[in-house]
Amino acid sequence: MWTILQAELFKIFKRPRTYIAFAAIAALITMVQVGMKADGDSYVKFMLSTLGGNFDVQGKIMNGYLVCYIILQMLLVHVPLLVTLIAADTFSGEANTGTLRLLLTTPYSRTQWVLAKFTAVVIYTLLLLVWLAILALVLSMAVFGTDDLFLFKSDYVVLIRENDVFWRYCAAFGFAALAMITVAAVGFLLSIFADNSIGPIVATMSIIVFFSVLSTMNIPLYNTIKPYLFVTHMNSWKEFFDERVTENNEAVAGSIQYPMRIVHSVLVLGIHILVLLGAAVWFFRKKDILS
Amino acid sequence: MQPVIAINDLCKQFGHVQAVSHLSFTVQPGDVYGFLGQNGAGKSTTIRMLLTLIAPDSGDITLFGLPLRSRRKEILRQVGAVIEKPDVYPYLSAYDNLRLFARLKQAHTGKQQLLQQLELLGLAERAFDKVKTFSQGMKQRLGIAIALINDPQLIILDEPTNGLDPQGIADIRNLVLWLSRERGKTILVSSHLLSEIQQVATRLVIIDKGRRLLEGETAQLFNPAETIVELQTGNNERTLQLLAQSEWQQGLQPARQTSVVLKMHSNDIPALNKWLVANGVAVNLLQPRHSLEDYFLQITSGKQHVDDFTGRTV
Repeated sequence: MWTILQAELFKIFKRPRTYIAFAAIAALITMVQVGMKADGDSYVKFMLSTLGGNFDVQGKIMNGYLVCYIILQMLLVHVPLLVTLIAADTFSGEANTGTLRLLLTTPYSRTQWVLAKFTAVVIYTLLLLVWLAILALVLSMAVFGTDDLFLFKSDYVVLIRENDVFWRYCAAFGFAALAMITVAAVGFLLSIFADNSIGPIVATMSIIVFFSVLSTMNIPLYNTIKPYLFVTHMNSWKEFFDERVTENNEAVAGSIQYPMRIVHSVLVLGIHILVLLGAAVWFFRKKDILS
Repeated sequence: MQPVIAINDLCKQFGHVQAVSHLSFTVQPGDVYGFLGQNGAGKSTTIRMLLTLIAPDSGDITLFGLPLRSRRKEILRQVGAVIEKPDVYPYLSAYDNLRLFARLKQAHTGKQQLLQQLELLGLAERAFDKVKTFSQGMKQRLGIAIALINDPQLIILDEPTNGLDPQGIADIRNLVLWLSRERGKTILVSSHLLSEIQQVATRLVIIDKGRRLLEGETAQLFNPAETIVELQTGNNERTLQLLAQSEWQQGLQPARQTSVVLKMHSNDIPALNKWLVANGVAVNLLQPRHSLEDYFLQITSGKQHVDDFTGRTV
């Protein structure tokens, strides 16, 4: 198993396409950071003005933590596409080039191949998230410095103390990784049924768009299925940035307002991954390789 | 002696198409076994079933005396294959491709051995070039290098000369012969061209629509005493009359519209030509063709089997 996992990683990281995602993330984050460095104060003033009333804020609102939050809000919607580029190509790409039949004549079972390939996709996804974390968080902290995190929510603001922020980002990136692995599992399963990667990539993105639209529609029929859709839970990383408030309206440091929502989302995403991976094993074991 | 490959009553259906139908044959150790049939006859489907890429609907496959279904991993360690096209990773070099598959096939080979393998196939100079810059012939040779990297007992080559130029075809033929004679490998080689198989195979099977039509030793199937000679002269009718009154009459076959056909020993062809010229016959064409070739051409052209020159059917 270790041998075929090594082989899979070797192939992934020898392929130029792999680095498109890393380059795209670097370009997008740099663009946001340059914009915030150049005109971040105007952005903060605008956000404060939308809240109404007079705020006397001391300290540095436009700091690395806020920049990272802005980047995640903007970027995490697009990362699934980058993950799908690799995940949906796993089997379909090999079928297209004809190398799949060569791989399957080696002395490993099909279950081993599915597990090794999925593990390789998971490693790729995790590395992509680590790269995102380094650029969005660490680089932003280095360029903009750190201070308390002042977040503008739709109808309230959240102020998290500087020493209470970093762990929340670590947890948020961990959760985002789980969400991206779920997306990867969808593309991975679809890649088994196709002989070229275009179909599974388009199909995976279509599924995400379809369910995302569905989850924004407030219709009773759809409301019953929303809790079971993986797209509903993909944004639950934001829960890490809501603190619990006491009866005296004081934030409790180190707390999360709705921890069970996160647990629920983790369970839903985890079950999705297991079911999708199980289905991939089942279908691939039965598949005749005709490509 | 235990056969290397034993296929018994193998069947596979895709939708309404019966790709392989009750196919049985055996390959003995040391054989270069020709697997013949026109395109779509079921050769590749059978080979894919041999390599567990396709699951048979029914029938048994044993390799090295072991059942393929339950001893797959053990069996595949002793098998090397090129299936249809030599597809490898275009973004990797020839060396990296070979190294990758050497590891996957659990072949304990160092850099030097990998380079030697590439040298054997004439790819040493391009070892570190990306495969996407290779010609079809070079990719084919790399595919064979990968098939051989674990020093397999059984080598399966599915249409190995497809898309190759005459030099490439000759190279593959020589390689097959070398592997058989010098390295003692058992080789199953499929083709839709009888002439190719005839030159390398010790035994062969012909299949059509997934069914076995003919199997046997190549030397016997190509019996020189049963060579078919097609003759075209200035006056075919007169030639036929002359032959009917001569020592050649026993070889005469039913007349064709544009030629006279005889079955004879290939050694006698010069004597026939001399006799015809001596009797004032202007010979336009004297073409020897083996009866098996005729038989095969009729199968592959989809015509009815009008004259079974050999009398061998299965």
